[in-house]
Amino acid sequence: MSLLQEEREIILGNEYVDTFDFAEVAEFVKNASKDLFISHHFKKKRKMLVQPRGGFPTYKKQFALYEFFVDANVDVLPLTIDSNTRLNDYATSKKMLRLSEENDVDMLNGYPLVNHGYRTTRKMITHFNKPVSLRHGTPDARLLIETAIASGIFEIEGGPITYLLPYSKNFPLDKAFLYWKYVERVCANYSKLNEPINRESFGPLTATLVPPSITIVIQLLEMLLSLEEGVKSFSVSFAQQGSMNQDIVTAAVLKKLAKYYAAQINCSDASIHLVYHQWMGAFPMNKDYAEQLINMSTVIASMVGADKIITKTREEASGIPTKEANAKTVSNTQYTLRILNGLPNVVDEEEEEMLTLQVKAIMEAVFNDPADTLWRKVFNSIKNGIIDVPFSPHIINHNNMITIRDAKKNIRIIKRGNVPIPDRCYAYDKAQCDLTKDTTSIVNDIIHDIGIMQ
Amino acid sequence: MKVVTGVVGNDIHVVANRLIELSLNARGYEVFNLGVNTYLEEFFDAAVETGADVLMISSLNGEAEGWSREVKLLKAKYKHLDDIIMMIGGNLVVGTGNAEDIVPRYKNYGFDIVCHQVDLNTGLDMLETLIKDREIEARNK
Amino acid sequence: MTSPLNNVEHSDSEKNSATKASKEKLLIDVGSTYFKLSTANNLEQHFRDFNKDILADLMHKCGDTIDSFGKEDVHICSSANGGLTTLIIGITNTFSLKYATNIAFNSGINIIDTVLYQNIEDYSLPSDLIDVVIIVGGINSNGNVFSDSLYNYLAQLRYSNIVFVGNELDAPAIQENIANVEILPNIIDDRLHIVEQHLREYLTNLYQKDIEGKEDIKHLYDITSNQIFPTPYVVNKTLPLIDAKFSVVNPFILLDIGGATTDIHYSKDLVDDNLVTENEYDRLVFKKLGVYKSKQSLIFAAKSNEFVYELLMHLKVTENIFEEQTQKATKILMQLAIFLVLCKISHYKKAYINLKLLSINSIVLTGGITKVLTGDEIEDIISFFYKKILNSEHNPVTVLDSNYDIWTLGEQGKELCQ
Repeated sequence: MSLLQEEREIILGNEYVDTFDFAEVAEFVKNASKDLFISHHFKKKRKMLVQPRGGFPTYKKQFALYEFFVDANVDVLPLTIDSNTRLNDYATSKKMLRLSEENDVDMLNGYPLVNHGYRTTRKMITHFNKPVSLRHGTPDARLLIETAIASGIFEIEGGPITYLLPYSKNFPLDKAFLYWKYVERVCANYSKLNEPINRESFGPLTATLVPPSITIVIQLLEMLLSLEEGVKSFSVSFAQQGSMNQDIVTAAVLKKLAKYYAAQINCSDASIHLVYHQWMGAFPMNKDYAEQLINMSTVIASMVGADKIITKTREEASGIPTKEANAKTVSNTQYTLRILNGLPNVVDEEEEEMLTLQVKAIMEAVFNDPADTLWRKVFNSIKNGIIDVPFSPHIINHNNMITIRDAKKNIRIIKRGNVPIPDRCYAYDKAQCDLTKDTTSIVNDIIHDIGIMQ
Repeated sequence: MKVVTGVVGNDIHVVANRLIELSLNARGYEVFNLGVNTYLEEFFDAAVETGADVLMISSLNGEAEGWSREVKLLKAKYKHLDDIIMMIGGNLVVGTGNAEDIVPRYKNYGFDIVCHQVDLNTGLDMLETLIKDREIEARNK
Repeated sequence: MTSPLNNVEHSDSEKNSATKASKEKLLIDVGSTYFKLSTANNLEQHFRDFNKDILADLMHKCGDTIDSFGKEDVHICSSANGGLTTLIIGITNTFSLKYATNIAFNSGINIIDTVLYQNIEDYSLPSDLIDVVIIVGGINSNGNVFSDSLYNYLAQLRYSNIVFVGNELDAPAIQENIANVEILPNIIDDRLHIVEQHLREYLTNLYQKDIEGKEDIKHLYDITSNQIFPTPYVVNKTLPLIDAKFSVVNPFILLDIGGATTDIHYSKDLVDDNLVTENEYDRLVFKKLGVYKSKQSLIFAAKSNEFVYELLMHLKVTENIFEEQTQKATKILMQLAIFLVLCKISHYKKAYINLKLLSINSIVLTGGITKVLTGDEIEDIISFFYKKILNSEHNPVTVLDSNYDIWTLGEQGKELCQ
């Protein structure tokens, strides 16, 4: 028996799993409807896929949510997991699930997939016969991912960096890399049976003034870590940044370099897609404004040539959205996409060159780390501050990079910390900003820049 | 001047925490940011290790009342923290509260400066005023 | 106890998975009761003859094997000298004391006492000679942390080595006031993070010097030209390689219940500590939880645990078993040791650390206990613990290292981790 299989048996021997039937699950994946695979839809490339967010604790409510989404003409269904499950605390999620079922009050902020189990969940997924995307935020997602694939969920979001640095203070990053390696391998193995399982990285990170070079570097690294384990379908992603031009430049560089680095490790056969997140920062309280913002995000997603868009709702500022609001965004977004035609082709060569130089310099520094494996090179690079994510709560993150918006609302680096931004690019970024003000005013600008859409 | 700052307990407001750090830096303080999810003991211990002059705790989810009662007792166990300036800011009660009630209550818990829903820069101005007052006091002694 | 294992042939699969380099190496572990020799395809274990010098005993029993290897191919680790006794003086629990303790445990040190500096006058003086005193406190820009109370305390203390790993500003005064003090870089950096490297090197080197100075063990250097490391240090550093031999799944804990002390190695993600370190596993030791040398303190700890009587009932014995000198009594004592160790590291008891035991996928047991207890007997205790103390049906997989494979693997991988 392979080491991976031995490990899988122990992971799935967990007391919260009702006997995992490996052979049956493999048979299910092998014969599963192509419609369940987002990789299959990407291949057909009919249109930009629309995917909302959402997860409720009970089966009944999740089912009802999906019905609303399907009525709204959804392309990809979400399954958002509750925060207890994300921390592998299945005992609490079990208790809270029971309370939610008994009292009709939602005691969890998502669907406790492990507690529901794959036999139950699969019924729902196959009933709707649409691709489902797993949204979680789990550093150790081994059991969760096994349960998801067995349920018919063939897109897995996340990664060791993007699911750790924005959410956790002290979960050991090196362990997260190892746990995600398991996820990649399991996805790679199942991918051989039918259409490939798609892996998607979480580009928004902290969604707070993250400069495009950091976003892209992390997207590329998670992509490489996934492809080197045999994953054949991968989505890089990023969220609306605040400047349409910067979004267009970011998408162009990200697509170009994803292809370039995939080829470097002889993985050109993998298909790479681009996912765009509607504005992930603070939303306006005014729900009509929120709808305008969402609509604008859709336009930009079209401009950047995204393969999939992940939507927000008009109720974003006021907590977990209702299924009605959620479905409304889906149909509105579909409408905008339908009428949005004849988009111009915008290219900003100077900005693209600057961004490419930044990304390549950071990537080179990561590859130059003396460690023997890619994950450890990345680990060391984060530990040394070569990769620095603004506003990450994690203790390993240096938080020495400072970013600000220029007059056109592009995110610029005004303090690079230990990140090897080439001097020329650094000077360029700083030249776009008014740095003659006193430092307190600059901090006030940063506060303003974070709340830009409110 | 050295400041130890962080967000106490089970509170995830990273952005506010980082902005406090940036603002303090901008005003010339040397900042030791313990980040979110910090325990009370860690704040005091960090103050000892760094030789901090100011301890600035933020609490944004209204849970401060619970642990603030322990501040005096815990601080009394430390032998060299008598002169440290204790400051707390954020949303100090659940729901809406009256600053006239809240401020004296938190001062009684052992804080020198209490900022309930006070703008960051105003809070930092209050800190500067207190530091100046103390300097004058020290000179007159 | 059970008879020593002589000339156990490794199975073919083990032979294949052994690293190439190990084929030319002789690995020796000198413990307090046994010593073990391992080559690529042979493992020998012998009781020590305490009337003989260790080297003489080794040569008497395995001279032919040892003679067939060059000095550079012989690798020895040892826990025979009991390790270094350590006293750490630091200024806070969260930073200086915790960081130094973490480094010391991971360097293979067993006996650690701590003094919180502000209360130094309240501590009674340890009567035994201390091998090494570690002084730590303050980031580099924070001086004047230490003063006369430290020097007064040290003046009354008996110790062999002393090292300062605190703030730079105090270093000159420390140098001036403490004879023969070694000054090393601060283990706390300006972000209040841990810096392990220098102190760890110092402690492992000190261990080597300690061996060189000990009459009964120093002659081991006659047969090896390699540094002799503490066994637990070697085990800790090579746990990342454990799946070369066992089906062990992270996060896991490894329990080494010995005659005098109990060692625990644990995956870092089982604690919420703010420690950014290189190693994937941390170690800690309970110094008075052993089944032979510290049997009395083990029994004492058992008697003061409210669940132990239920456990004895579960095992169908009474507390009279503590007075017996039978094989059965040894078994019960070992089962108790497992239970007490799990209690000590769970949230049930506040300790140096508390592990998230509900997240554990595997529990590995190594050492003499694997020769006495069966897998079933161990699993019985573990599930009793989870039910009684954590109210959980959790069922981590138990792995018994009955062939000392972890130590062998550790010795083989030693170069990797230096």
